[in-house]
Amino acid sequence: MHFSPLPYLDPGSGSLLIQIAIAAILGIGVALRASWGSIKKLFGAKPKAEDDDTDGESS
Amino acid sequence: MTTPMANQANSGSRQLSASFRDPSGFLFTRNGILYRQINRAYAEDYARLMDSGLYEKLVKANLLIPHVEVDQAPAEKEAAFKVVQPERAPFISYPYEWSFSQLKDAALATLSIHKRALKLGMSLKDASAYNIQFVRGKAMLIDTLSFEIYKEGEPWIAYKQFCQHFLAPLALMSYRDIRLNQLLRIYIDGVPLDLASALLPFRTKLNFGLLTHIHVHADSQKRYSNKVVEPRKGVMSQQAMIGLIESLEAAIRKLSWTPAGTEWGAYYEATNYSDAAFEHKKQLVREWTAEKKPNLVWDLGGNTGIFSREAASSGAFTVSFDIDPAAVEQNFQVVKKNKEQNLLPLVLDLTNPSPAIGWDLTERDSFGQRGPADMALALAVIHHLAISNNVPLSQLAQFFAARAKWLIIEFVPKSDSQVKRLLASRKDIFPSYTKDGFEEAFKRYFKILKVEAVRDSERHLYLMETLHNG
Repeated sequence: MHFSPLPYLDPGSGSLLIQIAIAAILGIGVALRASWGSIKKLFGAKPKAEDDDTDGESS
Repeated sequence: MTTPMANQANSGSRQLSASFRDPSGFLFTRNGILYRQINRAYAEDYARLMDSGLYEKLVKANLLIPHVEVDQAPAEKEAAFKVVQPERAPFISYPYEWSFSQLKDAALATLSIHKRALKLGMSLKDASAYNIQFVRGKAMLIDTLSFEIYKEGEPWIAYKQFCQHFLAPLALMSYRDIRLNQLLRIYIDGVPLDLASALLPFRTKLNFGLLTHIHVHADSQKRYSNKVVEPRKGVMSQQAMIGLIESLEAAIRKLSWTPAGTEWGAYYEATNYSDAAFEHKKQLVREWTAEKKPNLVWDLGGNTGIFSREAASSGAFTVSFDIDPAAVEQNFQVVKKNKEQNLLPLVLDLTNPSPAIGWDLTERDSFGQRGPADMALALAVIHHLAISNNVPLSQLAQFFAARAKWLIIEFVPKSDSQVKRLLASRKDIFPSYTKDGFEEAFKRYFKILKVEAVRDSERHLYLMETLHNG
């Protein structure tokens, strides 16, 4: 199974399949959150600041 | 990715073997300077990294090692696209030498990098713990070639690797035993998930993140081993990818470790030292490092890093090694709290230090190969090596002489209460373990520059210089 032109790292079939299954479920949550955000915005709530700029640190 | 063990390549440059697997490019040194050749196969991805603003964003966030493009001849001309000069990590360390929070920070940095990359149309294709190094106190990606252009619909190619390198060892350290990070020393590509699943307690199956990413993941690997499976293209949406990354992030964040039965703050306060002796020792270390101005100091048996910090105050980059994961953890917490940039705490057993591992034993360097340092500190450690571990003084002298040009070493006599404690449960078979015997053994390898009796104690502190080192 070749997704990128040079997959020098073998992702493993079992790992890929389970990843896709888990991510499909988790993706629903992300989608719901996104639409909930736009509903709230419709009623004038400020969008939450992106957590993007927290760096990789444990607290 | 990493340092010294090198293969001779053409044009007077040495190709570093830790990066041999990557077709995108490799590291080489020329005249002592570290360069990275980027191959034509990687040109498009590299252009996206630089042009999308991702590089700048990651460097600014201290998540990626900075580099500059240089006008140097490539080491392998045929494949070459560009040569860059990355900032060099002052000391290369490995995940089996990290404390719990160091591995956790490295895991979170990896996920944060992947998330930021996705927003700018790229993906982190490699989630190896060996691609993370501690630079200026921060976990940072040192492999500039780890990114690829993200195609919506594709799964995360490094998912398995992330679980093996980070999630599995952290879960084992947190739920089972802190010492299980040593499994990384055996398994260079991370802890096999079936092994992690078997070793983790049952209650980890009640934790959604660990249940899915380790237990179910391991079962799935077993079920589909030796089967070629071709999932439909475009099967994983970007939202699904973000859901996956956030789930891994939550699972990692939830993991914690505190040494059992100890008062966290006061863990290492218990010594047989008076304040006067302690302060005198600190003062001598500070003065002697300021006088010799080493660039790299190794504190061997550095505990929570109190004396390492005296050495680091001279400006030297100081690596503070200790056998106790709790001491190293506490040391790293101080580094983070005070934002210290030139101190690196690491777990190391001096009686069995990190070996060279990997393909042909050249992928990861041994402890010794990563030296020598300019100066080594061996404070309150010689009695453990000579008496608890039965190493003759002459061998200890030889060992320290190979580690650094200068040595600050403390001699702890038999009359000291700590040594009495070590000898209480065993026969004293160490007739030469005396101040004179110590000096005699070390004089074969060192010139003794200074000796000071540590105030209010029976101990002596020495500053020595190796004889053979020019």
